Amino acid sequence: MKTFTFHKPTELEEASKLLRNASGGHILAGGTDLVTEMKQGVIKPDLLISASDIKDMFGIVWNKSGLTIGSMVTLDEIASDENIGTRIKSLAEAVTSIATPQIRNVATLGGNLCQRPRCWYYRNVRFNCLKKGGKKCFAVGGSDKYNAILGGNSCYIVHPSDCATVLVALKATVEIFKDFQRVRVPINDFFIGPEVDVTRENILEPGDILISVQIPKESVDGKSIYCKAKERQSMDFAIASVAAMVKIEKGIITEAGIAAGGVAPVPLHLSSTERKLIGYCVEDIDAQAISSEAFTDAKILGQNGYKLQLVQTYLERALNSVLR
Amino acid sequence: MVDQNTRPSSVGTSFQRTDLKDKVLGIAKYTADLSLPNMLHARVLRSPHPHANILNIDVQSALKMAGVHDILTPFNVGVGKIAPDVPILDTKVRFVGDEVAAIAAVNVYEADTAIDLIKVSYDVLPFSTNIDTSLEMGTPKIHPQGNVVNGGPIVEARGNVEEGFGQADYIVEDSFTTPDHHPASLEPRAALASWDGTRLTMWKPSRGIHADKAILAAALKINPNNITVIGPVMGAGYGSKDETRTSILAALLSMRTGRPIKLELNREEEFLAGRRRHSTSTKIKMGVKEDGTVTAVHVKTVMDTGAYLSSGPGVVRRAGQGALYLYRCPNVKYEGQIVYTNTPTAGSYRALGAPQGHFALESLSDQIAEKLNMDPLKFRLMNHVGPEGQPGERITPKNQIIDTQPVEGGVPFSSNELRQCLILGADAIGWDRRDQISTTTGPIRKGIGMSMFIYRGGPGGQSNAEMSLDEDGGFTLNVGFMDVGEGSSTVVLQMAADTLGVLPQMIRLNSGNTDNTPESPMTAGSTLTFSAGQAAVRAANQLASIVIEAASEAIGSTDTKGLYITPEGVCSMNGDGVKFADLARKAGLLKTAVSVTPGSKDYIVNSFGAHFAEIEVDIETGYVKIIKYVAVHDSGRIINPKMAEGQVRGGISQMMGFTFLEDMEIDHSSGVTLNASFLEHKSPTIMEYPEIEVIFANSIDPIGPFGAKSLGETPCIAPAPTIANALYHATGVRLNHLPFTPDNVLTALRKLR
Repeated sequence: MKTFTFHKPTELEEASKLLRNASGGHILAGGTDLVTEMKQGVIKPDLLISASDIKDMFGIVWNKSGLTIGSMVTLDEIASDENIGTRIKSLAEAVTSIATPQIRNVATLGGNLCQRPRCWYYRNVRFNCLKKGGKKCFAVGGSDKYNAILGGNSCYIVHPSDCATVLVALKATVEIFKDFQRVRVPINDFFIGPEVDVTRENILEPGDILISVQIPKESVDGKSIYCKAKERQSMDFAIASVAAMVKIEKGIITEAGIAAGGVAPVPLHLSSTERKLIGYCVEDIDAQAISSEAFTDAKILGQNGYKLQLVQTYLERALNSVLR
Repeated sequence: MVDQNTRPSSVGTSFQRTDLKDKVLGIAKYTADLSLPNMLHARVLRSPHPHANILNIDVQSALKMAGVHDILTPFNVGVGKIAPDVPILDTKVRFVGDEVAAIAAVNVYEADTAIDLIKVSYDVLPFSTNIDTSLEMGTPKIHPQGNVVNGGPIVEARGNVEEGFGQADYIVEDSFTTPDHHPASLEPRAALASWDGTRLTMWKPSRGIHADKAILAAALKINPNNITVIGPVMGAGYGSKDETRTSILAALLSMRTGRPIKLELNREEEFLAGRRRHSTSTKIKMGVKEDGTVTAVHVKTVMDTGAYLSSGPGVVRRAGQGALYLYRCPNVKYEGQIVYTNTPTAGSYRALGAPQGHFALESLSDQIAEKLNMDPLKFRLMNHVGPEGQPGERITPKNQIIDTQPVEGGVPFSSNELRQCLILGADAIGWDRRDQISTTTGPIRKGIGMSMFIYRGGPGGQSNAEMSLDEDGGFTLNVGFMDVGEGSSTVVLQMAADTLGVLPQMIRLNSGNTDNTPESPMTAGSTLTFSAGQAAVRAANQLASIVIEAASEAIGSTDTKGLYITPEGVCSMNGDGVKFADLARKAGLLKTAVSVTPGSKDYIVNSFGAHFAEIEVDIETGYVKIIKYVAVHDSGRIINPKMAEGQVRGGISQMMGFTFLEDMEIDHSSGVTLNASFLEHKSPTIMEYPEIEVIFANSIDPIGPFGAKSLGETPCIAPAPTIANALYHATGVRLNHLPFTPDNVLTALRKLR
C-alpha cells in the first residue's frame, strides 16, 4: 500500500474542498471496500478524507415525507432498526444479506452504494481493463459467469450493491453535496452505466459527497421484498436479485417499484414491469408472464446464461410474494 | 491407594484436547506471531507470466534502498533443490505467481516498495492452462522430460479386465471431472529462520519437522546436525503444508544476511503458491452380470498437477484405490496419469485423490444399479468388498508387511465393518422411505443418495517414542510427530496413559523440536493414531516394567508380580507402595525408547464408511438444501469420541466446498488465477453446514492400538458422490462435473425442461 495523506474534517465544505484540490482523493466511510482496493493495489490514492466526524452524514430520521438515512449509517444500524425492519422489509432484508456481521458493523449505507464492482478482471491488478482506463473488457471471452446479461455495452460489470437495488425499487432520492450546494437526485439517475462513463458507476465527481438517502412515504407505506440469489449463504454478492415494492388499495395496485440486481452495470430499474402492475387488479396479475417478458433485451456472454433464468424466477417469486 | 480394579481408563472418553485452552484464549503462538531481535522481513517477487525464461534480473535500484538488505535471484542461490523439479529459484517460471526473487528488508512495506524496483527481463513462452493443451503435439515442455509425468500413466491391475467385460451382461461407462480445490487454511504459510554462523533454526508450520529438516539440509547443502526445526501451533494443515519454497528462501536470506528472517505469505500468495487439490478427469467403465455381480472395473484418471509435481505420484495412486478394491471383483485395472500445466501447483490435500476417485466410482455405481433396476444400496450390499478381501492369490511374500493399498487379492482385512456402516446409515437416513419422498411437480424436488468408501491409513512409517518417569514424579512422552490440528497428541497421550495405568494429565507430551525428539514420519495419510499410537503403547508398556522393577527395589520386595501402577504410584497387593515422586528421587530418571514398524504381514489395515444425504433441490434456482446428512465410519475403536466426531463433521463441511462451491478459476488467456481470495474462492461458511449425524460402527481392530484404525482424512471421501446421487434421485439428472454451483445445476437441469 502506498503512503497517503489523511484528513478528518467536521464540515462538508472542508471535505469537499480537500477532495477537489487533490488528484486521487477518496472519501473514507467504513473502508471495507476502499481499503481492500488499496491493499490490492487496484487504487493508489494520495489522500483519504474520513467522513466519520461529518455530522450531516449520520442519523436515521423519520418525518412526514418519509425516511432519511445518513450515508455514514452502518449496515448493522439499519439491520437492527426495528422501525425499518417492520416498515421497509426489503431494505432490512437487503442489509442483513450483505457480507458478514463483522463487515456490517463498519460498512456504511453510502459506502455500500458507492462500492466498486466485483468483476474479477477489475479487481486484479494484472489486468488493465476498460474500467481502469485500459482498452479492453477481459470478461468478454474470459471467465464471465458473474458478469452482466443486460446493459453491458462495453464493460460487463454488475453493480454489486444490494441496497442500490432496493432503493431503486423504493424510488428513493439521494442528497449530494455538489459545488458547495446540497442537491437532490432521484436514485435512478445517481447510477450510470458504461455508456455514460465506463470508469465510474455513479454521477459523483471529485469533491462530490453523498450525504443521505431519502425514502418517500409512498414507498414506506407500500409492501416490499428483496430476494437475493447467492452461491454461498454468507459473505457473498448477489448472482441475481430482485427488489419489489407495491402499494395496493382495494385490490388495485396503485404504486409499484421493481428493480433487479446482479445482472447489469447499474441497479436495473424495471419500469416496463411496473407499468404492467400499476392500475391493475392484483388478481389479474400473471407474475410468470410478466417475469418472462421483463428481460427480453438480455444478451448472454459465455457462461452467464443461468442468470437470466435466475432473475426471471426471482422476479416471479418476488411478485407472487408481494402481491399475496 | 487405588485398587487395581479401578485402573483409570481414558481411551473411549472425550478427554479434552491438550491444545484447546491456549487456542481459545489466543495464547497459542503461530509462526507469524513469532519475532526475534534484529529480524528482517522477506517478500517474494512473483512471475506475472505463466511460462517464461528469465534472461536477466536487475536488482541494483532495489538494493540501493536504505531498508533493503539482500535479494535472492535464480542467479545467486546456488544449485540446491527442494524437490526433483523445484530448484531453490529457477531461471524458468511456470505459473503466474511462481517465485522469481526474494527480498529481505527492515519491514514488509520497504520490501514491497523495493520489489517494484526489481527489473526482470523475460523471454515469454507459449503456455498451457489445462490438461488438453498440455498434451497437444508441439506444446512447449513445462519441464525437460515433457508434460506427462514419467512419460505415461501408472498402471495397476488384478485379473484381466477384457475377460471381465466379456463376462458382463451390462457395461456402463461415463466421464467425470473435479475442480481445483484449495485447502484455504486460515493460517497462510510462514517461516522464521535464524542462522548464527553455524546453526540454522527454523520455525515453520510443519506436518513433519524431521522431514522438513532433511529437505532444508539437502536444499541448502548443510549438515542436518546443524539444523533445528521447530513446529509451532499449526493454523490448519489439511495435509497441504508444506511442499513449497517458503522456508528455504527464508533460511537462505538469513544465512546471507546473518539476520533472522520472517517470511509470511499473504492470502493471495497462499492460494497461488500454496498447494491445491488436483483437478481430475476420469473415464470409468464397469461390467456387471444380470444378477448384479461385478465382473470388471476399469478406470483411467488424468490429473492436473500444475507447475510442479509435489506429491502427485501419491495422489494419483490413491485416486485409484476405490476402483481397485471397493467392489469385490476379480478383474480390475487403474491407469493414473499426471500432467503438468502452467497453473498453481497441486499437492497433498486431505484424502489426496480418494475424493476424486470415489466421485466417479460411486456415481457410476448408482448408474449401474439403475441399469440393473436394482436399489443402489442393495447393489452395494451385494458387491462391497468383505472382511475376506478380494478374490485372487496373495503376491506379497509371507514374511513381508502387506501394503495398505494392495492390488493383489487373497489377503483378508484386519477388520472390515463396511456392511455394518451401510446398514446403520440406511437406518439413520430412513432409506426405506426413499421411494415415497420423490416428487415430480413443483420447483422443490426431494431425493436421498448414498455412497461408500475404502481408504488406506493406519500403518505408516517407522515410528519412535521415548517415555520417562522424571525426577519430579511426572511422566514425559517424547515424540517426533506433529499435531497438525487434528488432535493426534491428545489421542496418543490417552493411549499411553491407559497403557501405563496413570491419568493423561500426568504425562507431558514433548514434541515439535527436532533437537530433542526422536525421528518420526510426517503427519500424513491418516497414520498417526495407529502408528504413533503403537509406538506410544509399546513405550508405555516398557516403562511400566521399568517402573515396577525400580519400585520393587525401592520397596524392598523381591518379587515384581504383586506390584501394579496406579495414578498415585506403584502399589503392591499387601498394601505397600511408593509414590512416583519418591520413586524418582530414589531411582533417578527411568526411561525407555522404542521403535516400531507399524503394519501387518497377514492382513490389510483399511478404514471404511458410508455416507447418506437427504436433499431438496430447487429446480428453478439450482439451489440444493441438505435436509439431513448421515456419516457412518469404521475407524476401529474410537479413542476420543468428541474429537473423532469433530473430525468427521469438519471433513464433511470442508467437502461441502468441494461439492457445491470451490474451484480455482484460471483466466485461460493469461494464466492468471482470478479468485485467489476467501471472498471469491468460496469456502463454505457455517450457513452451508448441514445437520450431520455421525455414527461410528462397532469395530475393534485386532492390530491397531486399542483397536483403533484411521479417521483423519476419511470423512472427506464420500460427500461429493453422496450428494451427486441424491441430486440424481431428486431430479433425474446426473451431474458429472463438480462443483454443483447454481449455474452448473441449472445448466444440467435444462435437460429436464
